[in-house]
Amino acid sequence: MPVPIEFRTLPKPSDAPQRIEYSTCYMCACRCGIKVTFEGANLRFIQGNREHPVNRGVICAKGSAGIMKQLSPAKLAKPLKRREGTARGDGIFDEIEWDEALAIVEARLRTIRDTDPKKLAFFTGRDQMQALTGLWAQQFGTPNWAAHGGFCSVNMAAAGLYTIGYSFWEFGAVDWDRARYFVLWGVAEDHSSNPIKIGLDKLKRSGAKFVSINPVRTGYSAIADEWIPVRPGTDGLLALSLVHVLLTDGTIDYEFLARYTNAPWLVICDPGAADDGLFARDHEARPLVHDDGSNTLTGAVTFDTCVALFGTFTLADGRTAKTSLTLAAERYLDAAYAPEQVAPQCGVDAATIRKLAREMAQVAFNESITLPIEWTDVWGNVHASVIGRPVAMYAMRGIAAHSNGFHTCRALHIVQMLLGALDGPGNFRARAPYPKPVPPRQVPATAPSHPRAPLAGSPLGFPMRPEDLAIDADGRPLRIDKAFSWQAPLAAHGMMHMVIANAVAGDPYPIDTLMLFMANMAWNSSMNTTGTREMLRAKDANGAYRIPFIIVADAFRSETVAFADLVLPDTTYLERHDAISLLDRPISEADTIADAIRHPIVPLDRDVRPFQEVLVELASRLGFSAFVKPDGTRRYRDYCDFIVRYERAPGIGFLGGWRGASGDAALVGAPNPRQWDAYIANQSFFEFHLPPALQYYRFANRRYLEFARTTGFITDIEPIVMQLWSEPLQKFRLAGLGQYAGPRPHDAADRARLTTYFDPLPFWYPPLASQGGADDGFTLHAITQRPMMMYHSWDSQNAWLRQIIADNHLYMNTRTAAAAGLADDDWIWVESHHGALRCQLRTMEGCEPNTVWTWNAVAKQPGAWALQTDAPEATSAFLLNHLIPEHLPGGAARFSNSDPVTGQAAWFDLRVRVRKCAADETGAWPKVAALPEQPVPERLRWGAA
Amino acid sequence: MHAALSVIVFTVLSGAGLGAFAIVAVDDLCRAMASRVDATQPWNIAATLALLLVIAGLCASVLHLANPRNAWRSAARFRTSWLSREAVFSLAFIVVAMVDLALRWTDAGMALRGTVAVLSLLLAWTVIHCTAMIYASLKPIRAWHTWRVPLNYLLLAHASGAMLVAATLQVLGAPSPILRIIAAVLVVAAAIAKWDHRRYVASDAGRVTLEAALGVAHGVRPPGAPATVAARILDTGHSRGTFLTREFGVTATPTRRDIAWWAMAIGVYALPLAWLASGARNPALAIAACIAMLAGLLCERWLFFVEARHTVRLYHGERRV
Amino acid sequence: MKLGLVIDLDTCVGCHACATACKEWNGASAISGPLTDDSPYGADPTGTWFNRVRHYEVGEYPGCKTINVPMSCLHCEDAACVSVCPTGASYKRPDGIVLVDQDRCMGCNLCAWACPYGARELDPASGTMKKCTLCVDRIFDTALPVEEREPACVLACPTHARHYGDFDDPESKVSKLSAERHGFGLLGELDYKPVNRYLPPRAPPVVAAAAPGSALPQAAEGGGEGAGTPDAVAAESPLSRLIARARAALTG
Ligand SMILES: Nc1nc2c(c(=O)[nH]1)N[C@H]1C(S)=C(S)[C@@H](COP(=O)(O)OP(=O)(O)OC[C@H]3O[C@@H](n4cnc5c(=O)[nH]c(N)nc54)[C@H](O)[C@@H]3O)O[C@H]1N2
Ligand SMILES: Nc1nc2c(c(=O)[nH]1)N[C@H]1C(S)=C(S)[C@@H](COP(=O)(O)OP(=O)(O)OC[C@H]3O[C@@H](n4cnc5c(=O)[nH]c(N)nc54)[C@H](O)[C@@H]3O)O[C@H]1N2
Ligand code: SF4
Ligand code: SF4
Ligand code: SF4
Ligand code: SF4
Ligand code: SF4
Ligand SMILES: [Mo]
Repeated sequence: MPVPIEFRTLPKPSDAPQRIEYSTCYMCACRCGIKVTFEGANLRFIQGNREHPVNRGVICAKGSAGIMKQLSPAKLAKPLKRREGTARGDGIFDEIEWDEALAIVEARLRTIRDTDPKKLAFFTGRDQMQALTGLWAQQFGTPNWAAHGGFCSVNMAAAGLYTIGYSFWEFGAVDWDRARYFVLWGVAEDHSSNPIKIGLDKLKRSGAKFVSINPVRTGYSAIADEWIPVRPGTDGLLALSLVHVLLTDGTIDYEFLARYTNAPWLVICDPGAADDGLFARDHEARPLVHDDGSNTLTGAVTFDTCVALFGTFTLADGRTAKTSLTLAAERYLDAAYAPEQVAPQCGVDAATIRKLAREMAQVAFNESITLPIEWTDVWGNVHASVIGRPVAMYAMRGIAAHSNGFHTCRALHIVQMLLGALDGPGNFRARAPYPKPVPPRQVPATAPSHPRAPLAGSPLGFPMRPEDLAIDADGRPLRIDKAFSWQAPLAAHGMMHMVIANAVAGDPYPIDTLMLFMANMAWNSSMNTTGTREMLRAKDANGAYRIPFIIVADAFRSETVAFADLVLPDTTYLERHDAISLLDRPISEADTIADAIRHPIVPLDRDVRPFQEVLVELASRLGFSAFVKPDGTRRYRDYCDFIVRYERAPGIGFLGGWRGASGDAALVGAPNPRQWDAYIANQSFFEFHLPPALQYYRFANRRYLEFARTTGFITDIEPIVMQLWSEPLQKFRLAGLGQYAGPRPHDAADRARLTTYFDPLPFWYPPLASQGGADDGFTLHAITQRPMMMYHSWDSQNAWLRQIIADNHLYMNTRTAAAAGLADDDWIWVESHHGALRCQLRTMEGCEPNTVWTWNAVAKQPGAWALQTDAPEATSAFLLNHLIPEHLPGGAARFSNSDPVTGQAAWFDLRVRVRKCAADETGAWPKVAALPEQPVPERLRWGAA
Repeated sequence: MHAALSVIVFTVLSGAGLGAFAIVAVDDLCRAMASRVDATQPWNIAATLALLLVIAGLCASVLHLANPRNAWRSAARFRTSWLSREAVFSLAFIVVAMVDLALRWTDAGMALRGTVAVLSLLLAWTVIHCTAMIYASLKPIRAWHTWRVPLNYLLLAHASGAMLVAATLQVLGAPSPILRIIAAVLVVAAAIAKWDHRRYVASDAGRVTLEAALGVAHGVRPPGAPATVAARILDTGHSRGTFLTREFGVTATPTRRDIAWWAMAIGVYALPLAWLASGARNPALAIAACIAMLAGLLCERWLFFVEARHTVRLYHGERRV
Repeated sequence: MKLGLVIDLDTCVGCHACATACKEWNGASAISGPLTDDSPYGADPTGTWFNRVRHYEVGEYPGCKTINVPMSCLHCEDAACVSVCPTGASYKRPDGIVLVDQDRCMGCNLCAWACPYGARELDPASGTMKKCTLCVDRIFDTALPVEEREPACVLACPTHARHYGDFDDPESKVSKLSAERHGFGLLGELDYKPVNRYLPPRAPPVVAAAAPGSALPQAAEGGGEGAGTPDAVAAESPLSRLIARARAALTG
């Protein structure tokens, strides 16, 4: 039948005047540029900004659904105070005015600050203004501040910053344009989710090979050229086996190791001595190497020094020293790391491991790239070209969220070092303001807090040695989360996941007020969710809450809001000013230094305030020295004024663009009163392109380092030497061994942990929760993945996104399920050492047979997020967090379920067993009491004229 | 497929009405040819009832429309759309049938009546055929995309129509033994056609697989895997229902299907046949047999929909349709 | 003209960006918006979408591959959805775009039955059939910058797995891509002649395995400057001595 073909005139589009605004998306932390079209007063279309360095015009499902977030009935509308006589968690509030709310907070905080500032614990979740909140906490005088990093991916940050000077997660990026071989370890989405997607397409077009190492084949792994279903928690072993093959084959970048890493540095081998395992140094404290040319030991190394990469040497004092690389080779050449040995544990066959190593070596060395870019090394030699080893790797929470993640991530960096595949064309490159010295020269505040005084130093930092820990004279933690204590010495991002448990236990001390910003600690961002909810309402013998006062600053009716005594309602991302600052997590890409802003493009229709305004207001009222003039009057009118005029160092402030009185200075310059306008006029972002000569080998690129010093990224022009052998780790190990000439732990368990886990070379150990037979009977690894169209707990309130995913199942390999007599849609009990939950099963092929997994944070408390109580999120979806304990099982109960080095929450160490429910057992369990339902529409017709 | 009550009622009632009208028209034609004008009163009543059924059916069909305001436009695509044709011919049929009835009730001349009867007969057949072709023309629904569907529709319409007329005549005390025989033959023929159709549906002929729907043979498969490798759904991309699941995802439980099947077998074929063969004279039995037939047909039509599987189900994970 | 999309199954990661961007653009479009959502915060969230992304697995573990398949109207040449439409609401334009005239549709669903691909959805509020418009109100809108005269889904797609163009023009991006990458139409056997083409996954690149002891050091031994590889190192340089010694230490 012929199809009738006609031409008809189409309905006329709306003739309402259009307005276009540029801002920055905040449907997730990727921070893409958005172009927002309004028709009359209505939001018409949110699209990616083509000019923006992060997303170059594309936008994800969340970003496109921003309109539905703006329309969410879960938006808070007014400050709320827990109604007298109701219990915490009931979610019953009285609306109050801002004056009253601020007065309550001010009075409470003033008392704390005047008496014992550490009794304020201020923790923030998914925010992107840690430079401000950190400054605020420091000015308040409490060490008890951190953001989400400790439960997110500090393992990646710490491993990178203690090893290569930049890191996976947010401080490095793949050179998508030139990479020829790309290995992705344990990533489902990442923060840089749009850049990764754009990049994968580039790889595919250029014919580069993409290998994904992941127990589950969805999302990125779906399109990988090769999928390696590793057994969870064993990547470290796999990576070190790659090291074994590379060393055995001799396919390593000798030059790169000699010049840019500490491979040739001499390590003192004097068991029992206080300096065993530390670097031998000359009188200027420069590490010694062996100069093969002159056959001497020297601390003066230049580009041309013919250093010995391998060898055992005798020091002037007669003791023996070996190069770092010798020690590494001694360890990794051992048969224990041979592919055949590790294969059964990793679930990856030996041939695949060998092939992976040899393909990487092939591309790194036999298909390397030369760019005709002249650059000058830090020693002053000019090179005519830049050589790139086009093997790129990227890794995230599949590595981070295990208690062996720090060492595993370091193992990945060792692979990169051996291949010379760092900050060169085609590999894994730094994003400004990185690289920084290894580790960055900022130690956490180690002195106790004092009334009415700022904290002496930053609450967070990078300890270099036991002296840098935040502990008191008796070795007790200064911080409520015990970060930088013997239990988690390198907890560079704090340990937010331990705050509630510790505060309720009064261990190390009780607090007065817990202030949470943008963190859903009563639900998806806590381990042991059921227990945490009980703790939040736990009372002491006198009937007083163990955490006396909880302030929650949130924009929506989250599960945590229900536990607040006082709710400070925030704006949405379309309604406020924000600075996405270089002092924070950068949005820079490898070749461009970038920052960005948000500005209100939708007028406020509720009595809510941007939390940053509240912080500036409180800081002014409480008289923080950085926020008031010497006469006590306020220094900054408001947040915008603060962003413009605050200078961390002369000429360096929150925003790098359009500085200087006339707005023509980039990155460094006097405050510009019209800086916000300049950003708005320039599509809300600032981009500074590094000239080619400054783009590569920045750890040893003289002109780059000089530039980075002028911009305040670094303080000294010296090579940033990558650390194969980590001296800071060894110092902590010496403390554990009792050999360190400085602070040492008293507790035997602490000593044992330091001795074992502060190995200066990466090693692999079974996840802590699995040690000592703790897994008996719990044979399955249970992990989560981020759904690409949902951001944590935020998007169940989104009428479009929740249509795509409103509940979740537990996925299991088809054959594993068949062997257990389980089938699709069966209701099952999932049990861990810690607890049990009920959910529904889905089988799939692309799942490692010993692994089960589910989508993260889909489940909701009934009534939360303005969902009706019978919403699937509340009735059939489930939260794996109920099964994850915040402490290690068994005798070690006082240790956090975290990486022993960094305190990173070990979400993915979970082990479970699964059995079929009885016929009458259906529906998700545990069931949580419902919050009061909010009025919601039955039908949406967005876009109706 | 979703079995909309309105569509079921529509196709059953209008089918039976059209079938009945066709039977009456054939009768009229025979009379016209034989130039006999005897005993037409009960037949007129039957014809009137038939037209009422057709109109009732059409009314029900309008209920199926989500935007009936535009129903009047449905004649627009007469050239390509069976639904358009059905609409046009239904209206034409109603007009002609009304003329036919008027001629009957006014005892118009046999020649004229005969001509109109031919016209209404052709129109009735056309409408039944159009209705059937709406379904039979749909390639995505394998169970329907066969000549067996129009055959079934024609036979069932005539079988149920003949039953209705026979029963009406019986109730009105003017039984027609020949009609009973014709009706019985039609019921048996309809049963055979149904059996054949169901056999076809159960066979493998014309099936489409999930692999075909995804293009596995075109290379949508793991590297190195044979073109015959199996595919499966992982996630449909929506957690709750969509228009597509509601319209095409419906499958009845086996129990309900069994019940409907037996109800159909008994209601459409067994009971009517028994009544027809029994020669029973009790008017109540005649009415009961008709009701059984119509009820059975409702089940038949329900099965026709719920058992039909649209290709879009492949995309929701069904392995074969 | 034969306007349509190419969808690259080699790069589609199944992120649903195209589906959501489509919902957003078309929800407020005069052509077929608004797109109703029912139970938006309740037990059965559901709504009208023009583009849905589904996820499949082909093959068995460990040799399985996950395939993400976004599906919207394929703007078939032999669009039975148009020919079956009694009211004439559905029509195909000379440029190939298949549209539903919202003012004429009576909501009979027949076109949806006729579409093998599930590309049409009835909007319960308007009672009319809705479907992908190929963003006809973007692609021809001269008020938009040229590079934005593309469907919303194409603009959004983070992996650039979607391309829009004219298949009648052999020089167009879509024609070329489809030819180079063996684009195919879904369910060709039904003979709807879908215009949209899907690109099957590319064959994985083949990378040689470096032989033990190959690579850099050999380049050095092989004869210094200009020995063919970028890594060539002058045989007598300090670096080559360093490497030679290190290699000896490692392997010797
Ligand atoms: N859409 C969306 N994007 C997000 C977020 C979101 O909620 N939604 N959250 C943001 C946040 S806070 C973060 S931290 C990032 C995190 O981004 P990702 O690191 O991508 O986070 P996950 O989704 O947890 O992915 C972990 C991956 O590791 C795999 N995996 C688990 N265990 C192992 C293992 O032992 N070895 C290996 N090799 N793989 C393993 C899992 O299968 C999964 O694919 O994403 C950010 N981006
Ligand atoms: N099982 C399991 N658990 C996990 C993970 C996992 O992979 N598996 N991932 C972990 C990781 S990496 C992270 S980072 C955490 C995430 O943990 P969180 O950061 O705690 O999680 P979110 O769900 O993003 O919730 C943050 C809160 O921010 C609020 N919010 C959103 N927008 C705004 C705004 O504009 N202003 C204000 N004031 N508030 C706003 C939301 O309403 C919500 O209450 O979850 C962790 N939990
Ligand atoms: S990835 Fe998506 S949600 Fe996140 S910032 Fe970018 S567009 Fe927004
Ligand atoms: S995909 Fe479906 S709706 Fe689109 S033209 Fe083809 S048959 Fe019609
Ligand atoms: S639903 Fe509307 S567009 Fe579809 S066939 Fe019926 S009248 Fe035509
Ligand atoms: S072309 Fe436009 S209408 Fe069609 S799927 Fe893409 S965004 Fe939706
Ligand atoms: S936006 Fe692109 S990658 Fe994402 S689902 Fe759609 S086609 Fe696939
Ligand atoms: Mo995170």
